[in-house]
Amino acid sequence: MMLSEAIVPLLLTLKVATLATVFASIVGIAVAKFLGRRRTFARDVVESLLTLPLVLPPTVLGYYLLVVLGHNGFFGAWLMRDFGISLIFTWQGAVIAAAVAAFPLTLRAARAAFSDVDAQLENAARTLGASESEVFFRVTFPLAWRGVLAGALLAFARAMGEFGATLMVAGSLPGRTQTLSLAIYDAVMAGDDARANALVIVSLVTAVVVLLIAARLLQRTQRMTLT
Amino acid sequence: MTRIAVAIDKRIRADRREFQLSIQFESDADVTVMYGPSGAGKTLTLQAIAGLLRPDSGHIALNERTLFDSAKSIDVPARKRDIGFVFQEYALFPHLTVLQNVAFGRRRGWWNRNAIDEEVRAIVARMHLERFGDAFPLELSGGQQQRVALARALACKPHLLLLDEPFSALDTELRGQLRTELIQAARDAAIPMLVITHDSDDVAAFGGKLVNVENGRVIPPNIGATHFQTT
Amino acid sequence: MHRIARSIVISAMILAAAPFHASAADLVVSAAASLSNAFAEIGKAYEVKHPGDKIVLNFAASDVLLKQIEQGAPADVFASADEATMDRAAQSNLVDTLTRKDFAGNTLVLIVGLSAKSPNSLNDLSAADYPHIAIGNPDSVPAGRYAKEALTSADGWEKLQSQIVPTQNVRQALDYVARDEAQAGFVYATDAQTQKDKVRVAMTVPTSTQVRYPIAVTRASKQVDLAKGFVDYVESADGRAILSRYGFSAP
Repeated sequence: MMLSEAIVPLLLTLKVATLATVFASIVGIAVAKFLGRRRTFARDVVESLLTLPLVLPPTVLGYYLLVVLGHNGFFGAWLMRDFGISLIFTWQGAVIAAAVAAFPLTLRAARAAFSDVDAQLENAARTLGASESEVFFRVTFPLAWRGVLAGALLAFARAMGEFGATLMVAGSLPGRTQTLSLAIYDAVMAGDDARANALVIVSLVTAVVVLLIAARLLQRTQRMTLT
Repeated sequence: MTRIAVAIDKRIRADRREFQLSIQFESDADVTVMYGPSGAGKTLTLQAIAGLLRPDSGHIALNERTLFDSAKSIDVPARKRDIGFVFQEYALFPHLTVLQNVAFGRRRGWWNRNAIDEEVRAIVARMHLERFGDAFPLELSGGQQQRVALARALACKPHLLLLDEPFSALDTELRGQLRTELIQAARDAAIPMLVITHDSDDVAAFGGKLVNVENGRVIPPNIGATHFQTT
Repeated sequence: MHRIARSIVISAMILAAAPFHASAADLVVSAAASLSNAFAEIGKAYEVKHPGDKIVLNFAASDVLLKQIEQGAPADVFASADEATMDRAAQSNLVDTLTRKDFAGNTLVLIVGLSAKSPNSLNDLSAADYPHIAIGNPDSVPAGRYAKEALTSADGWEKLQSQIVPTQNVRQALDYVARDEAQAGFVYATDAQTQKDKVRVAMTVPTSTQVRYPIAVTRASKQVDLAKGFVDYVESADGRAILSRYGFSAP
C-alpha cells in the first residue's frame, strides 16, 4: 500500500490523541486540585468512580458514551436541541471517547503529583499574600508538572491506541473518524495483511517518536532545574 | 496598647490520640519568646496566628485588628493577615532563585515573573545574599537558607514576624552567630517578632517577653522560670 | 512498589497468554452475528436433548470468524452468512466440504428509524433526510456486501459515500438505527425483527445472489461426530422450527 494511505489516519490519530490529551489533562488537573491533598473516604470514592473508564472494557465505555452522547442521550439530546451539534460519527466524538478513556490516567498522576508537593510550601505562599489560585499556579503546579506531564504522556499513549470506545461512538469512517487503530482492525478483518502491517509500522514509529521526544523534554528540564 | 492578643482553643485528633490546645497570652514587646518542650503546641499556636490553622473557638488580634473571632465569625485569610512566617525548615520555593523567592510576595498574579525591584535587591543585600541572587535554595547552606526565608518574609513588610524554631535546623556553632544576626535584622526592619523555641539558650539571647507553654497550655511565669532554671 | 508492579505485569501476561480452552464435551460454534438469537436458542435446545454436551457460541461478522479459524481458533462448526465466505473457507481447506449445507435463507431489508421518513426506493436516500446510513463494512461483513451490490446496481453506492457509516457487523448497523444515530441501515429481515419497536422495515432490498446461510464442520475439529450431530440438529425439524420462528426462511 502507498504511504499516503497511512497519512490520513495518522494525522487524524495525532489530532484526536493530542486534543484528547489536552482535554483529559485540563479536566484531570482541575479534578485533582478539587479533590485536594487530604485523603478522606468520600474523596477516595469519588476518585475510584472517576477511574472506572480505565477499568471498564472499552466497548462498554463506548456503549455508555453512545447512550449519553447519542441523539437520545440526555447530553446528546441537549447538544442537538440547543446547538445543533451531533458528536456521533464525528472526529470530535472520537476525541471525547479517547479523552474519557485517558482521563483517569491524568487524574491519578496529577493528584499524586500535587500531594507530593510539600504542604508547607503552599502555606508559605499563603503567608506571603498569595491567593489559592496564585498558590496553585506559582507553587503547586511548577513543582508538580513533571508528574502531571508523565500522566499526560500515558494519556496520549492510551488515546492513540483507543479502539473500542471510539469505534462505538465515532464509527470507523475512512478519512473522517478512522484512526490508525481502527484502520488496522479494519484491514485485519478484511484480510488485507499488507495494509495492516504497514499501518502497524506507521503507528509504532509514531508512538516511539512521540515517547522519545517526551523523554528528551523531561530530561532537559530536569537538568535545568537541578543545576 | 497590646500588640498581639491570643485566646484560642483547638482540639486536634490524630491517630486516635487527642490533643487539646488552649492558649491565652498577650504581648506588646518587640520580641516575644514562646518557650516549651516539643509537642507542647507552640507550632500549632503560630499556625493559628498566621491563619494556617483554624481554631475551634477564641480570638486573635494584632495591633487592635481582629484576625480571628469565632463569636463574630471573623476569620481573616492567611494572605491578608500581614504576618510574616519563617518556617522551621524554611519552606523556600525550590523552583525559584533566591531573588525570585524574596520577591514572591511582592507581586500578584499567576506567573513567577523575573522582574526584581530595587527594594528586593536592597533586602537581599542587607542579608548578605547578593552573591547568591540567582542561586537556587538547594545550593545554599542552612544559614544562607534561613536568611533567604527571613528576607522573603520581610519583603512583604509584615506587621508581625513569626519564627518557628529558627535555629533547630542548624548546628550549635552557627546558632550563636545567626541569633545575633537575626535579632539585628529584625530590629533594623522594626518589625515585632514572635519566636518559638525549645532551646533555653534562645530564651536568654532573645530576651523580651516570655510565654511558657506546656501540654497545650500557657503556664504561669514563675513555674516556667523555675522550670527554665532547672533545664 | 516495583515488586507489586512486577507481579501485576506477570499475572497480566499469564492471563493474556492463557489459551482459550474448551473442555472435551464443549462444542465451539462460530456463527454469523445475524444468527445470534436463533442459535442461542438452538444451542439451548440441543443441550437439553444431549445432556452433558455444552455448546459454546461465538458470534461475529462472518469474515471475522473465518479469520479466527484461519489463525487456529478452536471452532468445531462454522455457520456463515453468505456463500462467498464459506467458499473461501473451503478453498483454504478450513472446512470439511462434505458436511457443508445451506440451512437457512434470509432477505436483506432497508430499515429506518421510527422518526425517519420512509424511502420508496434506494434512490430516495438523500443526504438531507438520511445523513447517516449504517452498513456492515463490505470488506468484512456479508450483509454489507449484499447491500453494496444492491446499491451499486441502483447507481447509489458512489453517491452515498459521505453518508455511509461502515459497521463491524450487521448487528451494529441495527443498533445504530435503533438508537437513532443512523437514520437508515441495511440489515437482514431477521435482525430487523429483533428490534421491531425501534426500527421500521422500509423495503426489501433485491439482491442478485440469494442470502443463504451455509454451515460446515471445520477441518480442525477434534470432535467431528459431535460437530456433525449439531449440524444435523440445526437441519432437523426442531432446528428449522426455531429458525423460522426468528424469521429465517428455508434455504
